[in-house]
Amino acid sequence: MADKHDNDSKLVGLLAQFDDPDSLVSACNEARLAGYKSMDAYSPFPVHGIDPAIGIQRSLLPFLVFVVGFGACFVGLGMQYYTNAAEWSPIFPGYAFKISGKPIFSLPANIPVTFEVIVLSSAFATFLGMWGLNKLPMFSNPLHRISRFKRATNDKFFLMIETKDEKFNRSETESQLNQWGAVAIEECRQDLTDNQLPSWVRLVGLLGVFLLMLPPVMIFRNMGMTNRQPRLHVVPDMDWQHKEKTQVLSPVMENGEYLFADERAMRQPVDGAIPRGRLEIDSEMYRGLKKDYRPKSAASSIKTNAQFVSASLEDKKEAPAAEAEDVSMWLTKFPEGITVDQDFVERGQQRFNIYCSACHGYDANGNGLVNQKAMALGANGQAQWTAAKSLHDATVKDDSKNPLGRIFDTITNGRNTMGPYGSQIPVEDRWAIVAYVKALQQTGIKPLTAVVDEDAGGEDDKKSDADGGSDAEDKTS
Amino acid sequence: MASVNPAIDIDNTNEEPGTRAPLVLGGLDYAGVTETVCAPWEAENPPKIWWLILAAAVSLLLVLGGCVNHLLMKGVGVWGNNNPAYWGWPIVNFVFWVGIGHAGTLISAILFLFRQNWRTSINRAAEAMTIFAVVCAGLFPGVHIGRVWVFYWLFPIPTEHLAMWPNFRSPLLWDVFAVSTYATVSILFWYMGMVPDIATFRDRCKTKIGKLVYGVLSLGWTGSARNWHRYEIAYTILAALATPLVLSVHTIVSFDFAVSQLPGWHTTIFPPYFVAGAIFSGFAAVVTLLVPARAIYGLQNLITLRHLENMNKIIMATGMMVGTAYGIEFFIAWYSGVPNEQFAFINRAFGNFWWAYWIMVTCNVVIPQLFWFKWCRTTPWFMVIVCIFVNIGMWFERFVITITSLCRDFLPSSWAYFHPTGVDIMMLIGSFGLFTTLFLLFCRFLPVIAMAEVKGIMPHGDGHH
Repeated sequence: MADKHDNDSKLVGLLAQFDDPDSLVSACNEARLAGYKSMDAYSPFPVHGIDPAIGIQRSLLPFLVFVVGFGACFVGLGMQYYTNAAEWSPIFPGYAFKISGKPIFSLPANIPVTFEVIVLSSAFATFLGMWGLNKLPMFSNPLHRISRFKRATNDKFFLMIETKDEKFNRSETESQLNQWGAVAIEECRQDLTDNQLPSWVRLVGLLGVFLLMLPPVMIFRNMGMTNRQPRLHVVPDMDWQHKEKTQVLSPVMENGEYLFADERAMRQPVDGAIPRGRLEIDSEMYRGLKKDYRPKSAASSIKTNAQFVSASLEDKKEAPAAEAEDVSMWLTKFPEGITVDQDFVERGQQRFNIYCSACHGYDANGNGLVNQKAMALGANGQAQWTAAKSLHDATVKDDSKNPLGRIFDTITNGRNTMGPYGSQIPVEDRWAIVAYVKALQQTGIKPLTAVVDEDAGGEDDKKSDADGGSDAEDKTS
Repeated sequence: MASVNPAIDIDNTNEEPGTRAPLVLGGLDYAGVTETVCAPWEAENPPKIWWLILAAAVSLLLVLGGCVNHLLMKGVGVWGNNNPAYWGWPIVNFVFWVGIGHAGTLISAILFLFRQNWRTSINRAAEAMTIFAVVCAGLFPGVHIGRVWVFYWLFPIPTEHLAMWPNFRSPLLWDVFAVSTYATVSILFWYMGMVPDIATFRDRCKTKIGKLVYGVLSLGWTGSARNWHRYEIAYTILAALATPLVLSVHTIVSFDFAVSQLPGWHTTIFPPYFVAGAIFSGFAAVVTLLVPARAIYGLQNLITLRHLENMNKIIMATGMMVGTAYGIEFFIAWYSGVPNEQFAFINRAFGNFWWAYWIMVTCNVVIPQLFWFKWCRTTPWFMVIVCIFVNIGMWFERFVITITSLCRDFLPSSWAYFHPTGVDIMMLIGSFGLFTTLFLLFCRFLPVIAMAEVKGIMPHGDGHH
């Protein structure tokens, strides 16, 4: 390269080779004293003492890193505050983590991440800042075209005095370098004919950029479009599973028939299956049936201690008509384990007001808000409605027709058009409602407080309820 | 240029008052150092043993790949992790590999700040080892998160549909930040330190592809004094940043355990004890790697017995720190008066994982004591055996901490014995394949020794040819 003509290349500087670091440093010192400024030394390792010899000013890199690191401290803390303690951004709202009553923002817990953010940012600032200040990467450098210079990364030391220096003079500088102990001197020339990128580089580069742009453009285009197809679900996770959900139709077999004869996907427990904790062997408590009662027919829907509750579909269909009902099977007193006292009746009143009063009304006269509305709609022919029963009806009040166990069963399983409440009201509460209903029936339509006031022995009165409905019936009638 | 000097071990381990022991032997000059380091890279074919080890390593790597694939297809249930030990081998392997990864930064950063010139021959390989160990470490929690395809939920990246952020008060999130910062800074440090040596490769390269690749990687480095000036400042700053970083990483890893309430984990000794253990295992791994590497590549004049002996001294010192920590743990458990703590430690030593505990104590505390004998710490083949035991011991240390505490927590009804599955075992073995493969490739394609730094510490005047 060096022997090209002057109009093809430009002299950049004179490169002098030295064989050891000490002679390089002394030559640099001489050059500086001779007034040269635009020069640089090249060595395979950092040579001790070269900085003052060439006159290198201390780099600003540490300050740059400090500024970045200091800023990163606030960025790190701010990021954690924003994401974990604040919820006020319009674009990507933060999410205040409320964990076991701990403060929403506590500095000690946020120190580790802040520290790591500072270190990471400072390291990048150091790394990028160093290369930036060194004007690297720079792949086109006339020095790399000098074969001798390849030893600069191995075992030789070089000093280049550049032509742009005011004091540079081709012959004079060369003799000075010789004088300062240069082993060899060579011209460093920049090839002017070779300073253009090959034409294909630009084309390939443009093509590459275009191809790289395609995927994001396609993605963004599709994100803003409507499409009849469902969205692409890259990772399905467990969104689709080989299972049937509750309350849907049974899967259909290849021959077009339902897999399950009852056309439901959900399976019922087999007859006699009892869920955990639902043994409910005490039929007095759970079903309002007398302990020694045995159903006359096996088809009866009402099962006793021995048979448990297993309300299968078939059973419901074959439920016996009301006329066939044997009233003697119902419990006529409160079951063992239920103590009827004022608290219990008040609990019953509260539950009654929540669950029953909507239809039966607060004083059980069968005219709750739902009933009123439904009757009004029914009068216009807009609804079909069987009026809610007044619990003060003679038949309802009659203990021989409607013993305590039967009231309990009515609440539990519903009767006629009334729906079952067994799944909504716990057993004890159902018995409490029974107690309250009996109390209401005794007082006519007066509220509970009246019966307590009226009857000095209110407590005894309720005890009598517990002892047996028929006694209470006698008293009031 | 002259052939590589005959590679024989010269004893430079004796202290002579008033003189500095030479760190480069065999009368190597600047060019000699370049020749010695470039020889393995310039060789037409790598030595047969290299191919043999590579074949073994790649086979293990395939095992690892198969296991990871199986894990992703089936889910984390293929591991032995189960109630109550939900943290099984994956976390043990993670801490083990991260620990090994600490020696590299320690050698390049802390020993640099302390002006320990002997670091220059070993720092490059140690840094490479660090990065490869962190890769292995990152693999285990990476696949443990279950749904790896949403791994980016670990990072505070805004999402429109999720409207959630990581919990920055969780040690597990600190871990994400610590380990990823550590990996990034290690790579920056490693690469920056390598640029001048890659420039040497560029200037010696004969193939076209090599010229292009090393030319781009060396960023046009010329060795200009102005560049060296900023480079040295940047190197010092990075060392000053990496020093607290390396201490913070294993501290935060130990927080994964120490911040929880489990007996045997909830102790303030964990951060220093984990860091000491990390340095201990890391140096053992460096010795294990460099002794065969220097023999295969004839680097005995650069990685001298003195270097190895210095590392062995550090291994012995940190081994005793770790041993002290084991003792202090028992003392604190007794002194605290907390029955659960006391039980946890008695259970460690004498419970049904007693065998693991005593393997740990034997390997970590007893065996390194051999380094009191000069023969033991200056005989390469023997120190490798000791160092392998050290790393077995350090793996068991993490096993003991993780498994014994989890299997005997507060609720005796959930106590159980931990059984690893075949996938657990194959993944641990496979991770060594990954590590070894990466290290072998590094030995083949990148400068194994920091030539520029070694030349910088050589006494002046030797440069004359």
